[in-house]
Amino acid sequence: MDVRVPRLAEGVESATVANILVSAGDRIEKDQVILELETEKAVGPIPSPAAGQVAKIHVKPGDEVNVGQPLITLTQEGAVEKAPPAEKKAPPAGEPKTTRQAPAPEPQKLAQAAEIQPSQYQYESASGFPLPASPSVRKIARELGIDLARVKGTERGGRIGVGDLKSYVEQLQRRAAAPALEKPAAAAPTSVDFSRWGVVTKKPLSSLRRTIGQRMVESWSTIPHVTQFEEVDITNVTKLRKEYGPSWAKKGKHLTLTPFVLKAVVAALKKYPVFNSSLDETTGEVVFKNYFHIGVAVDTEAGLIVPVLRDVDKKRLADLSQELNDLVERTRKRKVSLEELQGGSFTISNQGGIGGGHFTPIINKPEVAVLGIGRSTLKPVVKDGKIEARPMLPVCLSYDHRVMDGADAVRFMTDLVGMLENFPEQELKG
Amino acid sequence: MEPIKTEIVVVGGGPGGYAAAFYAADKGKKVILVEREKRLGGVCLNCGCIPSKALLHATDLIREMEASNERGIVFGQPKINLGKLRAWKNSIVEKLAQGLAGLCEKRGVEFLQGRGHFEDSQSLRVETSQGQKFISYEKAIIAVGSRPALPAAFDLGNKRVMTSTEALELEEIPKNLLVVGGGYIGMELGTVYATLGSNVVVTEALPSILTGVDSDLARPVMRYAEKAFKEVRLNTKVGKMATSGKQIKVTLSANGKQKDETYDRVLVSVGRLPNCKDLGLENTKAALDDKGFIQVNYQMQTSDPAIYAIGDVVGGALLAHKASKEARVAVEAILGESSSFENVVIPAVVFTDPEVAWCGLTEAEAKQKGVQVQVARFPWAASGRAMTLDRPDGLTKLIIEPESERILGVGIVGARAGELISEGVLAVEMGATARDLAESVHPHPTLSETLMEAAEVFYGYPTHTFAQKKRTPLP
Repeated sequence: MDVRVPRLAEGVESATVANILVSAGDRIEKDQVILELETEKAVGPIPSPAAGQVAKIHVKPGDEVNVGQPLITLTQEGAVEKAPPAEKKAPPAGEPKTTRQAPAPEPQKLAQAAEIQPSQYQYESASGFPLPASPSVRKIARELGIDLARVKGTERGGRIGVGDLKSYVEQLQRRAAAPALEKPAAAAPTSVDFSRWGVVTKKPLSSLRRTIGQRMVESWSTIPHVTQFEEVDITNVTKLRKEYGPSWAKKGKHLTLTPFVLKAVVAALKKYPVFNSSLDETTGEVVFKNYFHIGVAVDTEAGLIVPVLRDVDKKRLADLSQELNDLVERTRKRKVSLEELQGGSFTISNQGGIGGGHFTPIINKPEVAVLGIGRSTLKPVVKDGKIEARPMLPVCLSYDHRVMDGADAVRFMTDLVGMLENFPEQELKG
Repeated sequence: MEPIKTEIVVVGGGPGGYAAAFYAADKGKKVILVEREKRLGGVCLNCGCIPSKALLHATDLIREMEASNERGIVFGQPKINLGKLRAWKNSIVEKLAQGLAGLCEKRGVEFLQGRGHFEDSQSLRVETSQGQKFISYEKAIIAVGSRPALPAAFDLGNKRVMTSTEALELEEIPKNLLVVGGGYIGMELGTVYATLGSNVVVTEALPSILTGVDSDLARPVMRYAEKAFKEVRLNTKVGKMATSGKQIKVTLSANGKQKDETYDRVLVSVGRLPNCKDLGLENTKAALDDKGFIQVNYQMQTSDPAIYAIGDVVGGALLAHKASKEARVAVEAILGESSSFENVVIPAVVFTDPEVAWCGLTEAEAKQKGVQVQVARFPWAASGRAMTLDRPDGLTKLIIEPESERILGVGIVGARAGELISEGVLAVEMGATARDLAESVHPHPTLSETLMEAAEVFYGYPTHTFAQKKRTPLP
């Protein structure tokens, strides 16, 4: 049987092969991780759907692969091989067989390539009804990862036939084969020989580090970042944690600071929805989200991973606390699914567990803001004319100055600080 | 207790659940099918589609007989043996259920009778007659369906207030029957009881029966109802009900006036509710939408990656064939195949007299969404076949995108409309144009010709009717 690229997550159609963990001839168990695929967000393990012997490996590290493409071929002994479900019948006459061996480049890249073509086609529906193509043609397109809206139908009424699909795929392949019109590259990187000054050791960047790097460069170089600093008096939150912590601990729940921050952040996001938005750079629209999925930066051995807590607004503090601990735990073990790494609308990066004061977090694009948290320290604070020692928490908000201004950030931070300093005890009950 | 391990567990054995279980087993998966009833088939088979269609067919002969008298073949008064009719209906259900049980066994799908309750995202507890059993699964498919809504004000605990479930049991033929709700269930069962001799009064809170159906398609059904039912009262609300001896006292209000009436029985057909409660969904990550249905994506996956949901419990059209299609999509998604419920055409049929059937875009929807369409109508009075069947009370229409001549929707009212609509589904799914339909030869004399002739009406050259406007050919 062939092990193919599974559906990775909603909207993710392609990935890059990061590591291959088996070799041809290896005997492997069901669910044994055979390789790791890297999407734009993270690296995900691909387990083997069955036990068997690796007959052939079809990909190599760095290969771009699409959903449905074969990764390895597995020989199963003993058991009579069932008709593999993913194995489709022979493609209908007319479908180019070559697309199986050399899959069409991923749609986004094609779209970019198409931009330079004068004959860029996009289906426009007069009635708003989906485009005309038979169910069988739509299925083939789904399997090949082709957006039918870009295929011009030549049958009556603009209907897309198998022939239209075939000529589109051929066109794509010709285009992909043609030398790409690259953007003029920045100054070419140069290599420095450090061994001239002493002994060095070399280690390649892990694929996760490379992904982090790409994303940071992308965010830092396209978003005008501004970071707003504040300090929060967390006397109240500390009191609540002391009061409720022991009874929660008996139930096996660990009451940390982050769930309080999560709750306060969601309250502020609700009041200032622009911080829960994204900028669609292609249309110039701000996309407001009516959901509150908050990413939480987790420090793992391999590097930074940001899993997402869903619907934070709808969850009780107790549940949130437990879910967060579970998510962090699984992230550290790298057992989170790709789905859990996607769809965030805002991110929190709490360095307090390690230390840290104010810093300037980088926005997790396509989000528009990120909240950084340091470690609280006792500081002298003037209260009612007297100096008191108060636990002060450094918080810092980086925001996208294209989407909002400093005044918005001050309002957001003032509310956030206010909520944290007067955290409603009600949230911990029930 | 050691949990039973399986790849897929399907909760609910209706047309969604058993279709999913069978398909997954055919694809080589180990499947457990959990159903709270002893019999498979769900509402559709046991107290929905199948028994209601059996009764509609049985009573159709009486309606046909009355028309026959006018044609010169005269029958006497029918004698109704209710016990025998009920037994015949039950025998159909029983045979089909046995068939399903056999298919289940042949495929090696393990059938477990009991109530399923999710303990967490990977395990299901089943309350069986032999106590609790635990199933540890890789993926679950929820297909627990829906039940008739019975508002608290009508729930007297009196068997004379029926939902469709009890009405199909056919305990007696009430002299006076009130049907609350003029949707498809109320109209279908109203037809059965009216034919069997009940004085049927239908009340509908909205200004028309069969809400959602295009008015020109609903009109022939309304005409039949006006004749066969004692009364159809639109814009009428039912406030409360009370037991009054062997009758039910009902408070009705229309035009701001209230009045009390008594009926021997009342059928409440005001909609259906999803069976989401007591499933233990709160122990999973699956979420409900604001109407109480389980939220799913186009792959039928809930917000819990391990759990899929299909059929009535996810909302949309509460139809058996929608559930069965969703079952295929869910199983294929679990297998990692490319499958999606996006843009699937789901036909609907109302088995009244005459039948109403439609698929794709309706005229009302087009108007509401501001979609520019052209509608081609072919009245059955111009169909030879309809005349020979003595059923000229029909209409076939095509909803067409003028720029491309593509068929976006088909609507039919008339005898056997339910059997005719599938050609419309194929046309819409295939992206067929009116030309495709007009050029495909349809046999004469059949009702299917009305589809071809409606397409010819669009071009202005129908044979059996006259169209004023001729269409300019597409460039």
